[in-house]
Amino acid sequence: MNKQAVFAEGFWHNNTIFVQLLGMCPLLGVTTSAENGFWMGAATLLVLLSSNLVVSMVRGVIPKNVRIPAYITIIAALVTVVGMAMNAWVHSMYLILGLFIPLIVVNCSILGRAEAFASKNSIVDSLVDALAVGLGFTLALLLLGGVREMLGQGKLFGFPVFGTSYPDVLMFVLPPGAFIALGFILAGINLINRQMAARTAAAKKAQVMRAEAGSVGTASVGVEAG
Amino acid sequence: MVMIAEWMMMFDREQLRMVLALFVVAVIAAVLLGLTNMATRKPIAMAQKQTLQRALQQVLPEHNNDPQAQVIDVDGFAIYPAREHGVLAGLAWQVIAPDGYSGAIRILVGVHPDGRILAIRVIYNKETPGLGDGIVHNKAWVNSFRGRGLEGVRWKVKKDGGDFDQFTGATISPRAVVKAVKGALIFYRDKRAVIMRRLSGKLSRKVKAPPPRNQSVM
Repeated sequence: MNKQAVFAEGFWHNNTIFVQLLGMCPLLGVTTSAENGFWMGAATLLVLLSSNLVVSMVRGVIPKNVRIPAYITIIAALVTVVGMAMNAWVHSMYLILGLFIPLIVVNCSILGRAEAFASKNSIVDSLVDALAVGLGFTLALLLLGGVREMLGQGKLFGFPVFGTSYPDVLMFVLPPGAFIALGFILAGINLINRQMAARTAAAKKAQVMRAEAGSVGTASVGVEAG
Repeated sequence: MVMIAEWMMMFDREQLRMVLALFVVAVIAAVLLGLTNMATRKPIAMAQKQTLQRALQQVLPEHNNDPQAQVIDVDGFAIYPAREHGVLAGLAWQVIAPDGYSGAIRILVGVHPDGRILAIRVIYNKETPGLGDGIVHNKAWVNSFRGRGLEGVRWKVKKDGGDFDQFTGATISPRAVVKAVKGALIFYRDKRAVIMRRLSGKLSRKVKAPPPRNQSVM
């Protein structure tokens, strides 16, 4: 499979958050700051990579009828491992994200990738897919966390960006702010996608017209010759 | 054995394959979890100890002992003593305010042996960011507990006729903290003799001079 196409699909065209609107729970819950968003994204990415790797390794071995319980067992074990590792080595982040880490298990995008991709594709392709989807998810969390932190507290990664006189807009720290910010981000992304689509369509149209003009030219030449 | 063999006969090959697959997956997952637990147990304990250590540093006066090594248990409270050259300089323990705005708030209180607050530090909360979590970030408010004892202090927020500020838009969180800290001081007053007896094996009863009020924290 074309690695670049797999990556583009997972990272952008089929982005878990921006396009599929899956995994909203961690998205809205932890994105009160860019840093929280980043670490939640990193944890999810790690789980995705390992779950896609394992599922792709055991594809064909696991009987079809029990694949979902098997995948969920694998994912739950991996999430627990990531949670323990964070507790041990990034303890301060674990204290903030603690509640949300177990919820990675039920992030449907992870079981979704295992079922829809890793169980049918090679190990390398599955890793590329996991990387793309995980990075896309991290990008979304980072973006939303950054926007909320900036608008809500006037800071980015804990550093003031709007000066000290910035009045904190509490709404963006609270859950409604997450929905509102996400809505604007989605609108922006749709705008970008539409413009990109329009540009490719225009390019294609121009090409077709050129081709048509060419063929008309030859046809008329043919008529003349006839 | 025969019975198990007969029982196994009831399944066809496909079913056995399913059972086996799930069994193997579960065993591997269990082994993985066990190994991870073994590998992370020590670092986790150390990280927790360090987190507690940092919090203790913030609520206890200068000391040259290891409060975590000399912890005593009184009525289920782990009490950490701070000693300077063997003289008791302060005590710290954790209290829980069950009535926060969103769930329990855990507070580490540092108390001078004379029964006045040295410092408090919220170590766990789920209060609203930007409103109730002022109990963590509002330094002036946190410092307003310094030097306060049970005597002559109205342990309520101002809205309830007390001596402690509430925050604009957030009364519940400070109210819960004030109540819990007051509870800690009452606990100390009632259990002081027990605490001192438990500690006295290892230290003299001499007490350092109380700290000046409203001294800055950091």
